[in-house]
Amino acid sequence: MSTWCIHFSKPLSYAQGVSLQERLVSARTSGAIPDTVLFLEHEPVVTLGRRGRDNFLNVTPEYLKEEGIELHQSSRGGDVTYHAPGQIVMYPIMKLGTQEADAHGYLWNLEEIAIRTAGDFGVSAVRREGMNGAWAEHGKIAAIGFHLKRWITMHGMSFNVNIDLAGFANIVPCGLVGEPVASLESILGDDGPSLEEVRDAMSRHFSEICQREPQIFATRGELPATLADLTGECLAYL
Amino acid sequence: MQIDKSCRYTSTHEWVRVEGDEVVVGISDFAQNQLSDITYVELPSVGDTLSAQDEVAVVESVKAASDIYAPIGGTVTEINDRLADEPEIINSDPYEEGWLFRMKPIDESDVEDLLDASQYESQLPSE
Repeated sequence: MSTWCIHFSKPLSYAQGVSLQERLVSARTSGAIPDTVLFLEHEPVVTLGRRGRDNFLNVTPEYLKEEGIELHQSSRGGDVTYHAPGQIVMYPIMKLGTQEADAHGYLWNLEEIAIRTAGDFGVSAVRREGMNGAWAEHGKIAAIGFHLKRWITMHGMSFNVNIDLAGFANIVPCGLVGEPVASLESILGDDGPSLEEVRDAMSRHFSEICQREPQIFATRGELPATLADLTGECLAYL
Repeated sequence: MQIDKSCRYTSTHEWVRVEGDEVVVGISDFAQNQLSDITYVELPSVGDTLSAQDEVAVVESVKAASDIYAPIGGTVTEINDRLADEPEIINSDPYEEGWLFRMKPIDESDVEDLLDASQYESQLPSE
C-alpha cells in the first residue's frame, strides 16, 4: 500500500503543523487520501499535553515569550515537551486497525524507528519500561506523544539531531524530573550527521517497520492535487 | 475479547446500554485493550447536549489520547465521577464499573440503528 510522505525544508509554526494535521486527519477519515506522513521542523515551541500540567514549566510563560518561544496546549498524550529547529518531527496520519493492529503496536513501531535511526549513526538507544520514547546513555533522544481520532493517528515523534538543548532547560521534559535530554550532536560532536541524513534514515526505517511504500514529496510540484490543496499555506515551507 | 451481548455498539468502539429512559455509554473491551493502561479521562458536563458523532470525551493511556464520540444524540444526565481518581477501572471492567456517562436520548429509537453485538464483533480486526 502506498503512503504519502511530505518532507518540509523550512520550519513550520506549531499552529501550522496542527492545522495541517487536522485537515489531513479529516481527509484520511473520509478516505480522500491514503496514510500520510509529515517530516518537518518546528519553530521554537513548548507544548503541554492533553492534561496541560504546566507545573513542569521551569519558567513563566512571559519569559518564554521574551525568549521567542511559543507556548501551546496540544491534544496529544503525554506531558510537556520542546520543539525547535534541529529536531526532526514525524507526524504520521495513519489509520490503525489494519497493518498496525493497535495503539501498543503503533507506539512500539515509533520507538523502533527512533532506536534504529540512532543506531544508524552509531548511537545505541533503548526503550525504558513505562516511559515512552528512545533513550541513549546520555539522555532521552526521541519523545513520543500521539492522539487518535476515530483510530486515525496525529502528532507522533520528535527526534533530536542538532537542536540547541538549552531550550529544554525551560521545562521538565515529559514530566520526568532529573532525566537529561540528548541529541545526536551532543553525543557525537561535530561529526554528527545532518538533519537531512537523519530524516532520510528515519523515513527508510518508517517504511520498513510500518511496511509502507512511501511516495516522497519534497517540492511543491510533486504533490498530488488533493494533497497540495490540503497542504495549503504550508506549501511555502517545502 | 469480551463483548457484552446486552449492549449496542458503534464502529468507533463505544457501547450503549438502555436503562429505563436513559442510556449508559462506555468503551468496549476491545477499545480499552487497544489503548492499554488508561491514566486520564476527560468527561463531558452534565447538561451538555450532544449530536451523534460529537466528540464528547477523551481517554488517555500511556501516551495516546483517544477521542470518544457520542453514539446518539441526547443530553448528558450523569458522569462517572469515580474515573477522576480511578481511570484504570475502564481497563478492569469496561462494561460495568468503567462506564463513562449517562444520557437522555433525543430519540430512543436511535439506539436500534447502532450495531448489535454480533455485527460489532464481525467488524473487529481478526487476529
